[in-house]
Amino acid sequence: MTSLKRSHAATSPTTTLSSKTYLRTLKSGKVQKIVRELYLRQDIPCSSQLCSKCLDLAPPSFQGRSEPFVLSAIPAGTKQFPQGHYLVPDTNAFLSAMDLFESEGVLQDVVVLQTVLEEVKNRSLPLYNRLIALTKNEGKRFYVFFNDFRLETYVQRNAGESINDRNDRAVRKASQWYADHLQQASEARQSIRCPAVVMLSDDKDCVRKAHLEGLVALNLNDYVAGLADADRLLDMVASSREQRIAKDDKAQMLYPEYLTISAMLTGVKAGTLHQGTFNVSPYNYLEGTVHVPSFDRSLIIMGRENSNRAVSGDVVVVEVLPKDQWKAPSSQVIEEEEVHKNDNAENEDESNEGIITQQERKFLQDEVKRTHGQSAEGRPQPTARVVGVVKRNWRQYVGHIDKDSVRSMTKESRAQQTVFLVPMDKKVPKIRVRTRQAGELLGNRVLVSIDSWDRDSRYPSGHFIRNLGELETKGAETEALLLEWDVQYRPFPKTVLDCLPPEGHNWKVPAEPTDPGWRGRRDLRDLIICSIDPPGCVDIDDALHARRLPNGNFEVGVHIADVSHFVKPNNAMDKEASLRGTTVYLVDKRIDMLPMLLGTDLCSLKPYVERYAFSVLWELDANADIVNTTFTKSVIRSREAFSYEAAQLRIDDPSQQDELTQGMRHLMMLSKKLRAKRMAAGALNLASPEVRIETESETSDPVDVKTKQLLDTNQLVEEFMLLANISVAGKNYEAFPQTALLRRHGAPPKNNFEELANQLKIKKGMELRTDSSKALADSLDLCVEHSNPFFNTLIRILATRCMMSAEYFCSGTQAFPEFRHYGLASEIYTHFTSPIRRYADLEAHRQLAAAIGYEALDSSLQSRSKLEGVCKNINVRHRNAQMAGRASVEYYVGQALKGRVIEEDGFVMRIFSNGFVVFVPRFGIEGLIRLRDMTNDDGKEPEAVFDAENYMLDIDSKRQVDLFQKVRVQISDEAEESTGKRKIKLQLI
Amino acid sequence: MANTIPLSPAELSYLHTSLSQTPPIRPDGRSPTQFRPLVAETDILPSANGSARICFADGTEAIVGVKAEVEKSSARPGATTDDIFKNSRDQDGDVDVDREESDKEGKGRDEWLEIAIEIPGMRDDDSLPVFLSAMLTEALLSDGGLKDRLWINSRFHWRLYIDILLLSQPRSYPLPLLSLTTHLALISTRIPALISEHDEDPLFNDDWEASTFLYPRSGELQARSKPPVTLLVVSIGEAVLFDPSRDELAVCDSAMAISVAQSAGAGLKVVALRMIDPPSRLTAGGVPQVLNSTSNPAATASLSPAEALVLREKDQGQTVWRPPRGGVRRAIISRIIKMVVENNGVGEEVIAGLAGVEA
Repeated sequence: MTSLKRSHAATSPTTTLSSKTYLRTLKSGKVQKIVRELYLRQDIPCSSQLCSKCLDLAPPSFQGRSEPFVLSAIPAGTKQFPQGHYLVPDTNAFLSAMDLFESEGVLQDVVVLQTVLEEVKNRSLPLYNRLIALTKNEGKRFYVFFNDFRLETYVQRNAGESINDRNDRAVRKASQWYADHLQQASEARQSIRCPAVVMLSDDKDCVRKAHLEGLVALNLNDYVAGLADADRLLDMVASSREQRIAKDDKAQMLYPEYLTISAMLTGVKAGTLHQGTFNVSPYNYLEGTVHVPSFDRSLIIMGRENSNRAVSGDVVVVEVLPKDQWKAPSSQVIEEEEVHKNDNAENEDESNEGIITQQERKFLQDEVKRTHGQSAEGRPQPTARVVGVVKRNWRQYVGHIDKDSVRSMTKESRAQQTVFLVPMDKKVPKIRVRTRQAGELLGNRVLVSIDSWDRDSRYPSGHFIRNLGELETKGAETEALLLEWDVQYRPFPKTVLDCLPPEGHNWKVPAEPTDPGWRGRRDLRDLIICSIDPPGCVDIDDALHARRLPNGNFEVGVHIADVSHFVKPNNAMDKEASLRGTTVYLVDKRIDMLPMLLGTDLCSLKPYVERYAFSVLWELDANADIVNTTFTKSVIRSREAFSYEAAQLRIDDPSQQDELTQGMRHLMMLSKKLRAKRMAAGALNLASPEVRIETESETSDPVDVKTKQLLDTNQLVEEFMLLANISVAGKNYEAFPQTALLRRHGAPPKNNFEELANQLKIKKGMELRTDSSKALADSLDLCVEHSNPFFNTLIRILATRCMMSAEYFCSGTQAFPEFRHYGLASEIYTHFTSPIRRYADLEAHRQLAAAIGYEALDSSLQSRSKLEGVCKNINVRHRNAQMAGRASVEYYVGQALKGRVIEEDGFVMRIFSNGFVVFVPRFGIEGLIRLRDMTNDDGKEPEAVFDAENYMLDIDSKRQVDLFQKVRVQISDEAEESTGKRKIKLQLI
Repeated sequence: MANTIPLSPAELSYLHTSLSQTPPIRPDGRSPTQFRPLVAETDILPSANGSARICFADGTEAIVGVKAEVEKSSARPGATTDDIFKNSRDQDGDVDVDREESDKEGKGRDEWLEIAIEIPGMRDDDSLPVFLSAMLTEALLSDGGLKDRLWINSRFHWRLYIDILLLSQPRSYPLPLLSLTTHLALISTRIPALISEHDEDPLFNDDWEASTFLYPRSGELQARSKPPVTLLVVSIGEAVLFDPSRDELAVCDSAMAISVAQSAGAGLKVVALRMIDPPSRLTAGGVPQVLNSTSNPAATASLSPAEALVLREKDQGQTVWRPPRGGVRRAIISRIIKMVVENNGVGEEVIAGLAGVEA
């Protein structure tokens, strides 16, 4: 009998077949035995320009060329390695010092082993992507060496050996091979200079073993210490495992241990534990909430011990506490900066103080007292504690250094010290950072990342990445908020720009109707079309026309820039746009989704030139009811580009009787009817505080803040855009019931409004009905105070905050009743009208084009899973863009108010037991007035009685502050002493 | 199995006579307890949890693959008082490892084991595969040790799929071949090492090398437990023959499948015993000289059918071949059992021989 077995086991030096066997546990709980056969090769080059042997042996690529060699023949030397050196970092080196590897011109000639690359991928996908980007960067000279496929460097897992030990061994073996190989190569060239091969590792044991094997191996810190500019570079290295372990034995554990993964999974499946995203309250850093599917209300997590090292945004597993430990949501404002002003960052030995400081304990005590008071609002709610973290969503955080935590301020001092970094985002705790450049960083915006949060440390520890520049300089602040909201702001890469039409700005609509570009397009150049946009708008997405038909009905057309003609699915430009998701508008800057050439010229429906468009044409009767709808690709020529004001003036001017103005008047008339119908159906008229910054044209320094004015023409455009979006949504859904990209706005859960309704009832005797959007719209209309015209807007702003946010989704993932857009009171909705600045619209264009048979649908739009991925991304991008925009306005408002003292009207929005929040409509700012700041003449904090049931704060029995009360406040700005950060300060007059 | 036996009554009679001698003279010269030579190897299927392949010298060949899959246990309808008792015992006080091991006892369930037999040219509902699979399953299950080993925790268990594949045409009765191969595959079967504790969702060590044998190799008592083997034994007259060849089967008086297993601590024990309808029953009987119509036409004509029957019965197979009528004496059965289970008996010899394949 001949054996059927493949003999993998016999790995004599010449067999090129090997296998590895391991087990994989699938999500479903199934366990698979995986056997991989490996065909080991000897033609994987070392890619060093020193080596001539590998040059002959490297297999040519498909085009018959072999890849140029990456590693330099004369790599840079250091004090330790004057001959020059190649680096072979292990996995931990990359994990803890990716920022160091990325920093420009520091580390070059690095061999990235396949073993390491795969391990990095398993440990952290974002870091893996950054590492891949590094290997593609030609200047950095990072070479991926496939050591697991090369016969000489392949390492088989020994019996009983852990996979980590096996990988460490593989790294050592590869370093060994490189060293020997280079030795041979330089001997062959008869050169005296032979670069050293330096293995970098964070693992003491691995370094020790490497030394035993006669390798050059260094601890990451020791290596960096030998470089020039070591102080700055060392800051970029996360404190190593050893340093962290070293203190383990003596330190007392402050936080409870996390459960094992299997225990968490079991608990979540069994329903005894719950999984959700951890959110920290913006007013009280000690209070967090976790929304879990099995409870209507979010679970409250109170205090540091219960939140157990979770950072806002982490996916955590929580356990609901017994009922006697339930707490009510906090009525106090607690800001970390205030409570922990005197913390010492250097103090590692916190055991005597424990996890909760005395001050924190006092705050929590107050909470409990109040809970026992059992007021209506302060009913205890299900409270939980975090027992484990499923996924850390740590990112890079922007912040500034807490001045009080710095010991020596002198710029010259190079002593390493631990300082606190106070993140811009108040929900993120202080981060402990070790740095040698504290003096320099003080007063600057700094980018850091969190590395770990150990059980024995009250705060997470992180490392420094980059200095963005001085606080409050425009460059630093803008970059800070772009980083904070994860907006991709780098210029478009060449691959994207290569997708643009080669004619550039000279591109024109082909003159010959026989040109392929005209295929399937209707010639609408004769229509009297115009566009109405905000002043100074260059990316004109939409244009309109209306004319009376012989039968008395109206023909109305909405023409949208035909972006999908220029951006074809799955090319580099499409991928970039899909990643960016949306254009981000800052006060002084626009971060485009598509390259300028398309956005502001070729796609933009500029007046007087012919442009490709995607048109929706309706026949509407005099009541603005739709008689029929047509969708078509077209060619148009806009007659004029109006601003909202200009259009309004033109419509209102009775002397204008030309065709264009008549058309606009038709549009105006129809839009008002459409709007009335929409309102009758229960659409909500919501409000958000919007302000406009007036800037000096030259320096773009802000000079004044104005609230945005809404004209009838704004509503005219809005109505027709809504109509177009709804029509397209219906058509796309009909054509692709499973894969249409739509937008929904879920009905808010009833208890979202509970508090607001209660407040209105008690303070104003008004009723807020929330059973349907119609009821809500009607009751909102009734919330009017004649003495106070702004009151209604205030309530609308508050109501808006109670709603869910609208989201993009793929039609196959929801049942039809869930498609509803609550705010617009529409059965179905999508985004179609702004393809230049939103990716969702571009996808809707492609689907509509396929639905009308203009072109075939790309496969990416037919796959539900791919579309879901797209939706998920653009939902996040959309929200981030809004946040970044708001943050930008906030910053500019602050700048406009700099050095001024203004008195303004404000409204009390929220009351806490130790302060209240005032909203100033004129500037769209919301500020907290603390009791502590209202010192009376003798400089003492005023005594106050907080009546939670009546939303009232009685200060010194002299003054009462009620919810919704109109107050006069003094606005000034104040540079905070400890940080040098400017803050807007409100004071009650 | 071949339906027709291409042997004449004279040949059958000759065979029967020589096999009935003491000691019996087997056509291939084996001793009564000797097995035909075989070649075996294990772990031939890389992605299975365990596998084996055996070739007999007559060219018959079988492959067995064993796969284990994690499965959620459904709640046992109406847990017995026994279970409740066990659970309460779990709760009071610490449970040490040994205890936990023994706590698996009785928790296994029959349906966790699935056996599929494929024989070329036969449908899976043909009588032979159905019968064979019933016999092998019966042996595996009646040795309670196996199904108890599949218990992970009160919520999860392994489901074991044993796929038995006969590669060649069934030249002789394939039961011993399939059983031996299954035995070999099972002792080479490894299941992933558990790293989660108690009743958590199971989590396993990703290292295949760390996985444990379904039938442990080391350890004092554990190592002695072995999966069952089913042996085919025939009796011819007073003689008892193991591993009969096709010719021997054609003349046997009775055939039986006897399954023995070795449990931890104890010696071999019989876990199943089945009589098999011997193919000799289908052979054509010889005709006595008196009834030979060719050489003695007158005599034939004068005999009534009843008289002819009496004549045949009287012959008792002494002068011509007569198919066996079935039935076996108790003494023979007990002798067979004794030969199989006794110390250094056939059973131990077979199991030791198969254990040697892996070494």
